[in-house]
Amino acid sequence: MVEERFENEKISGKEFEPLIVAYCCNWCSYAGADLAGTSRFEYPTNIRIIRIMCTGRMDPTLVLETLRMGADGVLIAGCHPGDCHYQKGNFMMEKRFDYLKKAVKNVGIEPERVRLEWISASEGGKWSALIREMTEEIRQLGPNPFKHMQIPKKTDAMMNVFKSQRLRWVVGRSQIKMEIEEEKYRQAVDSIMHDEIERHMIMGALKEKGALTAEELAQTTGIQPNKIVQHLIALRRDGKVNEAGEKNNQYLYKLV
Amino acid sequence: MEQEPRVGVFICSCGTNIGGVVNVPEVAEYAKTIPHVVHTEHNMYTCSEAGLTAIQESIKEHDLNRVVVASCTPRTHEPLFRAACNEAGLNPYLFEMANIREHDSWVHPHEPQKATQKAKDIVRMAVAKAILLEPQTEPEVEVKGSSLVVGAGVAGMTAALSMASQGFKVYLIEKEKEPGGMAQKLYKLYPTLADASEVVDPLIEGVKSNKNIELATSTILKEVSGYIGNFNAVLTSLEGDRELNVGTIIIAPGSSNYTPPKGLYEYGLNDHVITQRELDEKLKNGEIGEPERIVMIQCVGARKGEIRHSELEAFPKSDTAELLRKILKARKEEGWPYCSRICCMNAIKNAILIKEKSPKTDVVVLFGDLRVYKEYEDFYRRARDLEVRFIRHIEEVRPEIAQTPEGKLQVMAYDALYGTEVTFPAKWVVLSTPLIPSKDEIMLARMLKIPIATDGFLMEAHLKLRPVDTNVDGIFIAGTVSGPKDVSESIISGEAAAGRASILMGNGKVKTEAITAVVNEDLCIGCGLCEEICPYGAPKVEEGKSKIREILCRGCGSCAAECPKQAITMRHYRDDQILAQVKALLSPESSKGVVQ
Repeated sequence: MVEERFENEKISGKEFEPLIVAYCCNWCSYAGADLAGTSRFEYPTNIRIIRIMCTGRMDPTLVLETLRMGADGVLIAGCHPGDCHYQKGNFMMEKRFDYLKKAVKNVGIEPERVRLEWISASEGGKWSALIREMTEEIRQLGPNPFKHMQIPKKTDAMMNVFKSQRLRWVVGRSQIKMEIEEEKYRQAVDSIMHDEIERHMIMGALKEKGALTAEELAQTTGIQPNKIVQHLIALRRDGKVNEAGEKNNQYLYKLV
Repeated sequence: MEQEPRVGVFICSCGTNIGGVVNVPEVAEYAKTIPHVVHTEHNMYTCSEAGLTAIQESIKEHDLNRVVVASCTPRTHEPLFRAACNEAGLNPYLFEMANIREHDSWVHPHEPQKATQKAKDIVRMAVAKAILLEPQTEPEVEVKGSSLVVGAGVAGMTAALSMASQGFKVYLIEKEKEPGGMAQKLYKLYPTLADASEVVDPLIEGVKSNKNIELATSTILKEVSGYIGNFNAVLTSLEGDRELNVGTIIIAPGSSNYTPPKGLYEYGLNDHVITQRELDEKLKNGEIGEPERIVMIQCVGARKGEIRHSELEAFPKSDTAELLRKILKARKEEGWPYCSRICCMNAIKNAILIKEKSPKTDVVVLFGDLRVYKEYEDFYRRARDLEVRFIRHIEEVRPEIAQTPEGKLQVMAYDALYGTEVTFPAKWVVLSTPLIPSKDEIMLARMLKIPIATDGFLMEAHLKLRPVDTNVDGIFIAGTVSGPKDVSESIISGEAAAGRASILMGNGKVKTEAITAVVNEDLCIGCGLCEEICPYGAPKVEEGKSKIREILCRGCGSCAAECPKQAITMRHYRDDQILAQVKALLSPESSKGVVQ
């Protein structure tokens, strides 16, 4: 369907019109967008607003899913720091956004397509200017790459990363108290994301081809053999893969 | 879902507000084609009596189990439509609104075609969400007719007396040995120059003699559990701990007075450099005499320093008294960034008191800005008439102080009006210092989960709309704990907080949030992250599973977004309900029949 829409746009020769999904918190940004209306601050028609109670509610999986479904841009708009109706939901979103943006880039989507902005209930003008700016920026970028290509496997992997207990735990803990240095925290998040993607790729290969040795897995996935072994140990510990006999003096692994 | 969704869509023209831009009949015609929509109509004003009746009749006639109104913003009109649905026997949470006015016709007046297309999208998205909605109920809890007031200053005593006079049982606690608070230490009050005791003594007498008030001094609040209507408070005094059960709590512990660091304007080094508060006491005790000159310096420790983001972060997150001690210590050196608003009038008041008693004394007030509002302008003129000298220095060049070898004080200032340096030998130098938050209050706020504003004072639920409410239902604030106030303003806030608490206690029950978190116990691993993340203390891990205490949950959804196992979801804002809207927008065809 998404592809069809894109085809239609191409055939009709019309200029590309982006569709942007905006997640607005009920208390500040949704009200800010209301005020833009009350004040008659015009802006392009390319935005569709979805009301949520707080940006703190925005699970990164929702953002990735919105992009997967074909939105050309995603805007998350919440209260200014310190103004959150629920005290700190916006701070929590800000922390998630940090890795969300990296992840989006990682799966081949321009990170500019995803934005986190603070709009207060009194900033109708700011809202209007933001939508004008964002629409133009995304118009320049062109359609969401997912519209005209197979959604890459990496995106599925990334979705699994977002759902992974490991990443969610590390980020979640950091929301309560930063126990390690900021830099080390970022490194930890990066390496977890990287690992989880590779593990997902390993599991994908095993699902497709049945039992494989570490060497074969390295060839299929392009992941370094020593990393493959590390991942297999972790996956075995988590009860996701198991040995399935031997081949060329090497263990074969299969999904549990 | 046991019943097939039957959606009714009502599209409002809002006069020409929507209809003048969006082709409303076309949108209505389109809405008919959306799956599960069984009835569609468009009205001139859906919110009118006729419009509401049409909704209610259609619910019955077409057996609707979902209603979508496409009109204005839900922020103003959702309660009205929900109530109409409720009256017609449809659970109000089976109603969904599509905002095609503020978010469409009003912002796209020159693009009617695109606006019409957008309206169709918005309606389709709203229907997609409506289909997945579930009925919700707002839990009702009983509110006990008793209140705990923390702090027996002017605000706390006023609140206590107000609630007691309405027949509610009030427990009033005070950490000092005697009630009275800061006002009791004051001498005269502006602008009447009445004795502070004229205000404070009757209040003290009142709280001591009122049979509905139980006053406990040298007592602090140690712990609070429970929720609106039913709080359990543990009080601590020398006699030991005591437990109370109350319906509401009013926090009125007051604030502190900024004490300059040793050496600032020779404070702490020379006995004749004092704060306005100390001047008050000396005037009361007649220790000032009839000196040749007194110099007052305004804004000492106020309107200085920056609001630091790191500090802002530290306030809500720090759980250690140590960090707060550091912040307060740093602030003592640097000063506080806000205007304490009472110091100008306070200085004028003391200047007048001195002048009226000793007209020959030269009273000089050095200021960068002088803020007198309301009738205080007359108060300022009165001081001018008494020949108090107000001298403005520019903000960047602060006055300086020196001691002559004989130990006499000399204040140098840059007179902005004359553009020249002026020097005043002075017997007394009085520093006007701000009211500041104290560590005790911040710790109290942390215990109660009341947020702290960037200036360090307790934060109101809404600065303008809910000035004495806090983010914790059933807990209110009064007095200077939420920012500098004079005595009359403290009385106002005490009465206001008592009023808010009495509404709850008078009704005896209250409805709480329906949109709350739900834990899927099959997925929950009991890690307790939600417990720590929640600003309201709603989740609690019991027997290895997180349980949401719905009364405490406010529905922000942070726990749902952070749960490592994605075991938590939000009522009315489930992932699938949110994504159904995206799906309806981006691939309308495939959204057909997505009912789960």
